Parts: sequence; C-alpha cells; structure tokens
Amino acid sequence: MAEQVISPDLNFVKDIIASGGESLKKCYQCSTCTVVCNVTPDDKPFPRKEMMYAQWGMKDKLVSNPDIWLCHQCSDCTAYCPRGAKPGEVLNAVRKLSIRHVSMVPLFARIVQDPKLIWLLFAIPIALFFVFMPHKSLEFIRFDDKMVYHMFAPAEPHMYAPFVLKMIFGLTAVFSILSALTGIKRLWSGMKAQAGDVKSGGNLTGDIISSAKTIFAHSKFADCNVNRLRQWGHLLLVYSFVGLSISGIWALIYSYLFNFTGPYPFTDPMKLLSQASMLAFIAGIVIILYNRFAQAGKAGMGSYFDWIFLTIVSGIGATGILALALRLANVSAGYAAFYLHVVFVWLLLAYAPYSKFAHLFYRTTAMVFARHTNRES
Amino acid sequence: MPDVNRILVIGGGFSGLTTAVDAAETGAEVIVIEKNSYLGGRVAQLNKYFPKLCPPICGLEINFKRIKTNANITFHTMAEVESVSGGPGNYTVTVKLNPRYVNDNCTACDACAQACTAERPNEFNFGMNTTKAAYLPFNQAFPQKYVIDSSYCKGDCAKACKDACKYNAVDLDMKPGTITLNVGSIVVATGWNPYDADKLDILGFGKVKNVITNMMMERLASPTGPTAGKILRPSDGKPAQNIAFVQCAGSRDESHLPFCSYICCLASLKQTTYIREQNLESKATIFYIDIRTPGKYEKFYWKVKDDPNVSFIKGKVADIVQEQGSDDVIVTAEDMMTNKKVRMKFDMVVLATGMEPAGASKKIAGVKYNENGFALPDSGIYPAGCTKNPMDVARSAQDSTGAVLKALSKANSSGQGR
Repeated sequence: MAEQVISPDLNFVKDIIASGGESLKKCYQCSTCTVVCNVTPDDKPFPRKEMMYAQWGMKDKLVSNPDIWLCHQCSDCTAYCPRGAKPGEVLNAVRKLSIRHVSMVPLFARIVQDPKLIWLLFAIPIALFFVFMPHKSLEFIRFDDKMVYHMFAPAEPHMYAPFVLKMIFGLTAVFSILSALTGIKRLWSGMKAQAGDVKSGGNLTGDIISSAKTIFAHSKFADCNVNRLRQWGHLLLVYSFVGLSISGIWALIYSYLFNFTGPYPFTDPMKLLSQASMLAFIAGIVIILYNRFAQAGKAGMGSYFDWIFLTIVSGIGATGILALALRLANVSAGYAAFYLHVVFVWLLLAYAPYSKFAHLFYRTTAMVFARHTNRES
Repeated sequence: MPDVNRILVIGGGFSGLTTAVDAAETGAEVIVIEKNSYLGGRVAQLNKYFPKLCPPICGLEINFKRIKTNANITFHTMAEVESVSGGPGNYTVTVKLNPRYVNDNCTACDACAQACTAERPNEFNFGMNTTKAAYLPFNQAFPQKYVIDSSYCKGDCAKACKDACKYNAVDLDMKPGTITLNVGSIVVATGWNPYDADKLDILGFGKVKNVITNMMMERLASPTGPTAGKILRPSDGKPAQNIAFVQCAGSRDESHLPFCSYICCLASLKQTTYIREQNLESKATIFYIDIRTPGKYEKFYWKVKDDPNVSFIKGKVADIVQEQGSDDVIVTAEDMMTNKKVRMKFDMVVLATGMEPAGASKKIAGVKYNENGFALPDSGIYPAGCTKNPMDVARSAQDSTGAVLKALSKANSSGQGR
C-alpha cells in the first residue's frame, strides 16, 4: 500500500464536533453504516471512510468529496450504528463546513451557521425592510377597505413601495445566484482535484439531465428505510417551491406586461397554482417536522444548522398563511404578518447558497460529478 | 448463626463448581443451587475448549468426582434462589425446588424414555432436535438421573413412564417446594445466556433458514449433538462446506450488549477448526471488526490464520438474506481492506452472539447488579466468573478461586474474617 502522510487539521475536527457531530469520536470503524446505506455506491462506499477522515481531521478529503453530498441523510446509518456515532449527523456537519469552505462570502455562511449570530441573522432583514421601505410608522391603521400587501404598510403608503420591494428582492436574487455559481464552481474544481485522473463519462449535459430526473423523481430518497416518510415531505416541498417560483414569475409578467396587479382573484390560474403550491408547502413542512420528531430517537435530533433552516421555511409558511387569513378577514394587523413574511422569504433567498438550502446546488453538483466520473450511474 | 463456614453457591456451572470444590476442600460447608436438571452449565454444551481443543466434559468430570467424594458439598438441581436477606455471616436464602418426578432410585436405564409417548424440544441442543419427555439431559449428565417434563408428559404418558420403571424411581406426586437456608456468605455464579439472536433484526436469524448461533454450532459439532457431530445445515441437512462467521453479533453494540463478550473471536476461530477437520475442501470466512485474542490466545489466531481455507474480512456484517430460489445465504459487509461493499454467498452463517449475563433477564432479590445485569460484589456476596464479566473458562476458574477466598473471610462473622 502506498505510503501516505496525513496532516490532521485539529480545528476541522473541533468544527465538526461543534457543528452537531459531537458523536464523531465514538466511531470504531466497524462499517455497519456503509452496509445499511442503500444510497452509497459499492465501490469506495460511504460513510465509514468519511467518519475516519473526519476523526483524523482530513479536511481536504472531506470538503471536496462528492460522497458527502451523495449522502441523502436517510439516517439508516445512525439508526444501526452500534456506538451511537451518528454518521448521518456527522456528515451533515461536514456538509455545513463544506458549504462554508466553498462560499463566496464566508461571513454570510457564518451568520446563518453560527447559533451565536442568530440575532444578526434576523436583525439584518428586519432592519433592511424597516429602513428602506417607504413608511415610517408601525401604527397599523386601516388604509382602505381593501388591504393591499404590495403597498407594504397601511400608514403613509408610498406609490414606490412595490418597486422598492422588487428591487431589494431582485438584487438579493442576483447575489444569491452569484454565490451559488461561485460555490458550484469551487466545489466542482475541488472535487476534480481530489478525484485526480478519474476518467470522465464525457456527456455532461446527459449527466445533468439524468441527475435532474433522479432529483425530481426523488428516487434516492425511496432507498431510505428509517426516514421513509421524509421522501414525501421533501417531494411536496420541492414541488411547492417550483410552483411558487412559477407563480411568482407569472405575477411579474401580469404586472409588467399586462399592468394587472394584485391582490389577484382566487379564480385566476396563477393564483390557483400559488394556492395549490402553498397547500403542498404546508403539507410538506408538517410531514418533515413530524418525521423529525418521530424519528429523533433513531436518526438523531439534528443540529442548529438543520433547525435554523427548518425555522426559516416554517416561518415563511406560518407568516404567509397568517397574512392571507388576516387580509381575508380585513384585519390590518395582516400588514405586520406580511412584513414578517417578507423577512422570512428574504432570509431563505439571501442565504440559499449558505444555509442548508444550499444542498439544492451542491448535492446536484455532486450528483452530476459522480455521474460524470462514473461513480454513479 | 452458623458455627462453621457455610457458603451458598448460586449456579452449578464451571464457576460454581470450581467455587464449591475449592471452598469445600478448605473445610467449609457448601450448598450449590442449580436451576437446570444437571450440573456443568454452558461448558457442558461445548464441543471443545480453546485453545487446546480438548472436550470440556473431561474437566467437568474431574469436578463432578470431587463433588461426589466431598461430604462438605450438597447440591440441589432444578432449584432457583428466590430471595436473599440478612447480611455477611448470616444470610437467609429461600430456594424454590422444582419437581424432577424422578427420585434417587434412578439408574438411568432408559426404560421410562422408551415407554414415554411424548416428545419435547431439546433445549440442550437449542431446539435443533427433540427428546422424549422422559429424558436424560445429555448422556454424561451429572447427576445421572432422568427428568420427566410434566408440561409435555401427562396422564397416560406419565403413567406409562412410571409403569416402565423397575426401580420405583418415577414419582409423579412430587410437588414444588421451598427450602430456607442459613449461610454465612454467598457466591453468585449464575453465568450467562447466549444473546437472543432474534433481536438482531438485520442479521436474519429466525428468518433466513441457515443462520445459526455459535452455541448452536457447538451442539452441531458435538458427537452428542443433534447430528452426531456432522456439521449439516438446518434447512436441508446438506454438509455445510462454506461457512461465514459474523463477529460481534450483538456485542459491542449500544442497542444490544454494549460490552465485548471476550470469547466470541476465539470461539469462531475454534469453530473454523471443526469444519476444516470434517472436510479438506471446506472454507470458513470470518467477518470481524477486530480480532480479539488476548494474551497467549494470539498464537491460536496465528495457527488458524495459517490455514489457507480460512479467510478474514475486516468489516462488520450488517445484512443477511436468503438467496432467492435456494437455501444459501447472502452476507453483505464492507471489506475495508479493498474498500468495497461485498455480497458473498455461503452454505451457512454462524452468528458469533455474545454473553448476556443471567442477571440481565432474571435478578435475584438481595443481589446488586450493574446496568448490564452483571452482579456486583457486596460485603458477603461475591460474583464469580461470567456473572461478573464476560470471560473464558480458564479465567472463570481463576476468578472463582478468588471468590472463594473472599467468601471464606466473610462466611463466619460479620465482617471480621478469620
């Protein structure tokens, strides 16, 4: 066997432990995890080797390792681990560090990943919308017979409110897209460097299409045993995000091309899509949260990294429903609910490439890479 | 208060017997309580000892002889300690005696068994065969007395057994009884049970036909076992030529036995020699996390390793299924040396199940236990052998001798020793 010199990065080990991987050192390398994992390839399977890399602080082997992303956090490994080393939780912590490693603005990764900065996480959008939105009063008096959320606030409404709102979200989206692209590029070249001279499959477009098919069918999740229910929760969430994105773009088309502005009637097809998506969203998040608690004994309770993301996603749902209900009831406190809704949506968008949401970009990248290097078919 | 050293030994397995004879030979009075109908415990079920590979019955017979010739020892079989009260130098112990339905007149002539019309699963062979309901537990059982299993043999069957006995040894009127003993100290040697393999859901026991446990393998290989020593797989009686051993089946596992059972690596290494002796072509594969052969036992490992037909795969098995359309068994593990997930086919799989202390399933009132069911020493009450920790036979013997010294020092006075 070739000689290898290992230089352990002890801070990396400490980071994993601090990020929800505190059980890391319990692993005694029996490889039960690898056997019960239905998602891993047979050749150089995970997560046993990742547990070893993590224990030894072999950061380079981990942060640009496609396998940490091929893991779907089924937690079958955690359920069957004879030592309570929770490989599923450890890999989740490693993914978090990998997101930080490839991030375009590391400060953003820190803000969303460090529990000590939770105040800053929420303070930024709360302040942002308070300062930049053209209203100066929080007295929620009745503005009109009809509540119009895109006017943002009932007191001193401004004709430019919808425009400023769109500007903020537009710029944030640009920032997010740039962040995600930078991260994807860094991850890809890191994986390429780690893999060495692995033969590539050639057809990148084909690999992207086949990865997308797997993702939209959620077929990898179907291989999970312990977290079986999560497949449906996650599927509903993914499709609701797709539905909400489409209806959002649709609404922009309505307002700019047809000068048709909201609130839209419930019979409008765009509105129907967004309402259906909202229902899927609620069902999805309820299933995910239920499964989290029901399976906590087997799969582990998760870390701050999971829960802040779940909080943001649940927050969008809760404030969205509240705002809708209050508007229908014509209660002006709905504006406050809408304000919070905007805060949560911004959090999701701005931190997408830095929070757990980033798995959308990086797992997809890793899946494409794995197909491209014939690691997965 | 007893005026001589009087010691109660709970359990008549290897540790209990060693304790009894060692204590009795110093002049102490010893009472042995054994729940089975015979003495010898788990060791009596073994085909061979490691590392010398001699039959354990030799060692047991020496102890049986020492018991028979020592007037200081009395023993009760089919007896269970119900509770312990009092303190060092003066314990009161209640013992439940279960009826054997056969008295001391028994000459082990087998007439009752021949007349007996009912059968019962043979738990001595882990249910792999049956015996008549009037039976001798195994051919070298001590005491050499038959037992009638009243849950299987009733009415006409019981009468037939009684009528067949020329010696008036069958006594169907025996009733459960209770005796109270007054002793100065107690040695707990209740030993261990094989961990229940049914609890290892991913290892297929009970679902996959040809998955057995290591203790079943001892009986399969034993000349007095269900197959007269031929290692035949359970499903079709085909000689098992290619066998996998799955180490740490339940041991070193927080969900099962959180400790190392100490003997399973050596047991599997030993059992590879059973198969290899029977057939030159036979193969054995041991799946392990790490091979634990402490001290001089390392040499035994080297010896087995030299056999080219015995392979070792570093990686714990976590999936065992039956091959579709056959009785063969597919075992999945990661071979860590090649870094590949492997699925291999075997005729039969042996789960190296570990030692669950008897205290895990049944505790004696008045005895202290740790969270895993191992008994803890207490002034006047001393665990010996596997009751205290998983250990092999040799260490159990040493440990029992140590327990004798402690018991003697407490047996006759409240903590003053003599």
